[in-house]
Amino acid sequence: MTDTSRRRTFLAAIAFAILAGAPPALAQEARPLGRAQARPPEAASEPQGFLREPDAVQRVILFGDRRLGNGELTNGWYIDTGHNMIPGAGWLSAGPGYRQWYANDRAVMDASAAISWHGYKTTQARVEFPRLAGGRFLVGSQMRWQDFPQVAYFGEGPASSKSNRSEYGLQSLNIVGYTTFRPVQWFGIGASVGWLKPSIESRVPDEPSFMHSEVSMTADTRDFAGHPTRGGLYRVSATDFSDRDTGLFSFRRYEAEAAQFLPLAQSRIVVALHGWLVGSDTEAGHVVPFYLQPALGGGNSLRGYSDYRFHDRNMLLVSLETRAAMMMHVDLALFMDAGNVAARVGDLGLDKRSYGAGLRLHSRRQTFARIDVARSDEGWRFLLRLDDPLNLARLGKRTAPAPFVH
Amino acid sequence: MMQRIRAAAVMAATIAIVPASCVSAKRPVMPSSPVPPGASLWQEPSDLAERDVFNGPWGPERAPDPQATFALIERKHSGVNLGMTVRDPQGREWSVKQPYPGDMDSEAPVEVTLSRLLSAIGYHQPPVYYLPQFTLKDDWGTHAEIGGRFRLKLEELDDTGLWRWEDNPFVGSRPYQGLLALLTMFNSTDMKNSNNTLYEYKNGNRVEQWYAVRDIGSALGDTDRFAPRKNHADTFERTPFILGVNNGHVEFAYSGWYKNYVRDRITPADVVWAATLLSRLTDKQWEDAFRAGGYEPEVANRFIRKLRERIEQGRALSRTAGE
Repeated sequence: MTDTSRRRTFLAAIAFAILAGAPPALAQEARPLGRAQARPPEAASEPQGFLREPDAVQRVILFGDRRLGNGELTNGWYIDTGHNMIPGAGWLSAGPGYRQWYANDRAVMDASAAISWHGYKTTQARVEFPRLAGGRFLVGSQMRWQDFPQVAYFGEGPASSKSNRSEYGLQSLNIVGYTTFRPVQWFGIGASVGWLKPSIESRVPDEPSFMHSEVSMTADTRDFAGHPTRGGLYRVSATDFSDRDTGLFSFRRYEAEAAQFLPLAQSRIVVALHGWLVGSDTEAGHVVPFYLQPALGGGNSLRGYSDYRFHDRNMLLVSLETRAAMMMHVDLALFMDAGNVAARVGDLGLDKRSYGAGLRLHSRRQTFARIDVARSDEGWRFLLRLDDPLNLARLGKRTAPAPFVH
Repeated sequence: MMQRIRAAAVMAATIAIVPASCVSAKRPVMPSSPVPPGASLWQEPSDLAERDVFNGPWGPERAPDPQATFALIERKHSGVNLGMTVRDPQGREWSVKQPYPGDMDSEAPVEVTLSRLLSAIGYHQPPVYYLPQFTLKDDWGTHAEIGGRFRLKLEELDDTGLWRWEDNPFVGSRPYQGLLALLTMFNSTDMKNSNNTLYEYKNGNRVEQWYAVRDIGSALGDTDRFAPRKNHADTFERTPFILGVNNGHVEFAYSGWYKNYVRDRITPADVVWAATLLSRLTDKQWEDAFRAGGYEPEVANRFIRKLRERIEQGRALSRTAGE
């Protein structure tokens, strides 16, 4: 079978999926439940583009929005389109999922499995009680198994060489219990405790297992999580990874992240500002496992660099993206990313930079696809992605990310 | 290489076996037994011209109070539309269908309007109303919420499940054929069986079985199989209705997934019957039907004008039908 025919087969399968009409799930962030849609009447309107939109584009958007946009609301079978995948998995993933809500939205059970174009595999099961104490408390548990056979690694530090690329396979099993307290709809205090058992192919024979625990605070005022045009997301978190076997790899991670979306010209132009700081802390003589170190580079961070291009104990990323609605559902985006990794927080800076332009295909509430052309000192990159550029949907994953992803 | 082939194969298999809302419109078959007592699809509208088309057959007393605060019970978890179940201060439960964010091709106004038209000419319909917005009390307090179609759950009108287009006691009857002709006239694109509801209506001591079409909001656009437009006046205006008559059956421009229900099945007499019924509606009733769906007059007028064109096109078949 040639590459071309294989791709045709695959595209036909995807087309079939679409035509079959099963409601797949797009990545959805954990938004507070209870407020049914969080849509005041004024949210019904959609910013008009500078150009008249062809009917064909509107049909594609309508179809996508109806089939994909409801995300976690839909009961029954769905197609997991890869929201549990990581950069490097390939641009398409699919697998079966099943979800059921119970007791007037007081409980939800969800299970799914998926395989990606590059043979990455994930499976997860989740039980959640999102409306305890009148929606103020959420309690849940999730199990996730994943097998990522070829994750890129370029070595540690900001000076790692592009030519030093290697790959490792990472299998992991992660079980977590979590809770969120929301005194108000837009603000949550979260806590989680979990167990992570990674297994690294071709590197370390016996990886230790970790107990991990996290506390976080998140303020989220975005209008739509999948395609925000106003509001912001601000969060801080502290995570403790405790090596249960050797103790050598125990460490703590601290994160601060902010994203703000500023609408201009009747929301025809949206300026997105994003900053993310990750710091690691260890006892003397302890190390942060390379696959849990913050990583920079790829379609959701420094877009002009390869996926996972830079690893180290600490990371800083700043992004600025301006989206202009060329048509109602097609935005032209100009972006600039800057950041770096470093062994010490004090050494972090904005030395690594990339910039570029792209197109965003979206509905009012969801980004379906984007095409970016990005430039860095390591050359040009062309990106086709089925997620939003900041990938804030990663915050919906309750299990500890292994490897660290954007 | 092999890994990718395996991945593609697993993905394709997954996609193929995930139960989908498969579209399969089987050809209807004539019923082998007579219509059971108490069962009906349509009742002669003897008072058609006097019917209150704005409030519909269930009247203003069952309409939702736009000033009321509705309490959220749960969000909608089926279908592609957003929505929720809410309870009003009188303890009545409502199923609310809301527009998509951005309000493109909203089904709720269409559903209420077409429900009014169908009930006015004698087809059974559940109590549905339209509110452009309402006050919702949820876990986070009370706030203004986008409105939509409100369907009342009534004790005396029990939803007992679906009925099938291809297999029901009315296949081949004039009201059945006429209903298909009407839905085709409306460019209704979602004629799946799960949108048909068999109601048990307790009318005093009498129990009736009502065969009703429900969730009829996928209409008033075109009938393309890929992402048909709904509630779209531009598209509806440029879409043809009848192409001609072939071997005694009306050939429709309808190209939707449910074409089998009407292809080589509907006679000119069926269309004439249905079109004549609709033509008996007064100007005010037409306006009221669209007002009930929350339409602005200028948009309503465009739809009404086009529907009346289609009605005349249908009635013109009387020459072919020999009536």
